[in-house]
Amino acid sequence: MDIYLPIAEVSVNWPVLVLLGAVVGFVSGLFGIGGGFLMAPILVFLGIPPTVAVASQASHVVASSTSGVISYSSQGAVDYRMGGIMALGGALGAIGGVEVFRWLRLLGQADLTVAVSYLVFLGAIGSLMLHESLTQIVRQARGIAAPRKERRRPMWLYGLPLKVRFPKSGLYISAIPPLALGAIAGVLSAIMGVGGGFILVPAMLYVLRMKAGVVVGTSLFQIIITTAITTVLQAGRNQTVDIVLSSLLLFGGVVGAQYGARLSGRFRAEVLRALLAGIVLLVGVYMGLELFVRPSDLFAIAPGIAD
Amino acid sequence: MQAPTPPPPALEAPSPDRSAGTGGTLRVAAALTNARVQVDSSFRGASIVLYGAVFNPTDAPADVVVVVRGPDGPVRLVRKTRQAGVWLNSRPVLFEGAPGFYMTASTRPLGEIANFGELRRLGVGVDHLRIAAPEEARTVTRYGVRDVVVSRLGEDYLDWRRAVIRLREAAALYNSDPAGVRFVDRGLFRAEVELPAVAPTGRYDAQVWLFQNGAPVSVSHLTLTVEKVGIERDIYAFAHERPWSYGLLCVLLAAFTGWAASRVFRRS
Repeated sequence: MDIYLPIAEVSVNWPVLVLLGAVVGFVSGLFGIGGGFLMAPILVFLGIPPTVAVASQASHVVASSTSGVISYSSQGAVDYRMGGIMALGGALGAIGGVEVFRWLRLLGQADLTVAVSYLVFLGAIGSLMLHESLTQIVRQARGIAAPRKERRRPMWLYGLPLKVRFPKSGLYISAIPPLALGAIAGVLSAIMGVGGGFILVPAMLYVLRMKAGVVVGTSLFQIIITTAITTVLQAGRNQTVDIVLSSLLLFGGVVGAQYGARLSGRFRAEVLRALLAGIVLLVGVYMGLELFVRPSDLFAIAPGIAD
Repeated sequence: MQAPTPPPPALEAPSPDRSAGTGGTLRVAAALTNARVQVDSSFRGASIVLYGAVFNPTDAPADVVVVVRGPDGPVRLVRKTRQAGVWLNSRPVLFEGAPGFYMTASTRPLGEIANFGELRRLGVGVDHLRIAAPEEARTVTRYGVRDVVVSRLGEDYLDWRRAVIRLREAAALYNSDPAGVRFVDRGLFRAEVELPAVAPTGRYDAQVWLFQNGAPVSVSHLTLTVEKVGIERDIYAFAHERPWSYGLLCVLLAAFTGWAASRVFRRS
């Protein structure tokens, strides 16, 4: 049941990869995220070189996000104008991010940067989400009404130029904040192999204060474009995309994503958020451990100039 | 095991001319069961049998040592250092050429077959294998990143060298088996070359040495080719020769799969 991956140059058990794709796809459909943050650490754990793992799983994110967007789109839950502007930022971020990642790889600091990024971003987002969703769950259990949230957006959103109307999101704001958000997601997509949904969704909810119904579909739409660009760039600049690996992952992934999306309607939103926050936090801490635990060998092979 | 030792010689050891003898002289002949290893989608590493014969007119015992060396390539290493409680990577150190695969198999432990100087001169054994390193440390800059080229005379040269060997041994790329050569009949021996799935592609050189009284008396050279074939080679070539089209194809495939899945599931 083993298959040799032509670019990764390792032999792996293919049913495990299909299953992994299905599980991550299920998680991604359930929570409306790309699921990349979960996939990359597991692939590395399975023995795939980190640079190949990060680059190849981006196309898995493309596939599961595509099938996600189609189902959200049929419910009218995608703001294409908002997503398009964010994707433009994402493209710029991805171009910069791939170059930065290439440079870090040559510097021998790529694994370190990945570990720090996971710890900082996943740790922070996971803690915030966990706190927020648990507070809400406890409140509802005790029957206390949630305090009236201030629906005011930060004033600087209105002070910036280039105002655009986003009817679906119920916003009339400057194009600069979505552009910047997209750019951040693009950089993360290149460095961590993630779509950036775990950052985009909270930012769209709590900073931009978009209508909750269109947040997930719109973030998935922007993720497709950003990760598609990242995949092409990684293949073109670094030759680290393994089509066999990504095909195996995405076959499982698209099926899992469908089941995940169907099931998501059965859970309460805050329970889902608490669950997702737990997973995010766990992955962040797991990846960050590498920084603090004494390595078993003080020396490590750094990727070469040629590969 | 390796005491502080002088760096290995940079010169290739000459084959002993005694091997050119005829008829009644002591010599070795060997061949591989499979001189072309094909890496296809079911490749999980390969085991190749090397067999040979020792023509020994006398009763004095002789030892066989098989050395297989894979294609050389640069190796970059980093050393982790603890700073402010966090493990960080040092600047990369570069070895200009280390074999991508190296194994020895012998009838006895190498140390019993020949003395240290002889093994060092011939470059036989993991402790003696030649890893290209210049006499002076220098810094090379490629794509704006500065690498330190490790020097053979630097004080921590041996630490780095040992690290290359240890890491490669952990990946089953370097290996030494002191009982890997077995005589199946009088004068007839066999050894197995175990290539892991991560073995690099390219041309491998196998040397079969015959030692008597601690001195090399005969050597036989063989070559082994490891190459990607079929779809594996096509994909690899496509990804490296037309990387942009390849990337585009990957994305289109992914987007199509996502679209197809949503169609299939909507209908059902």
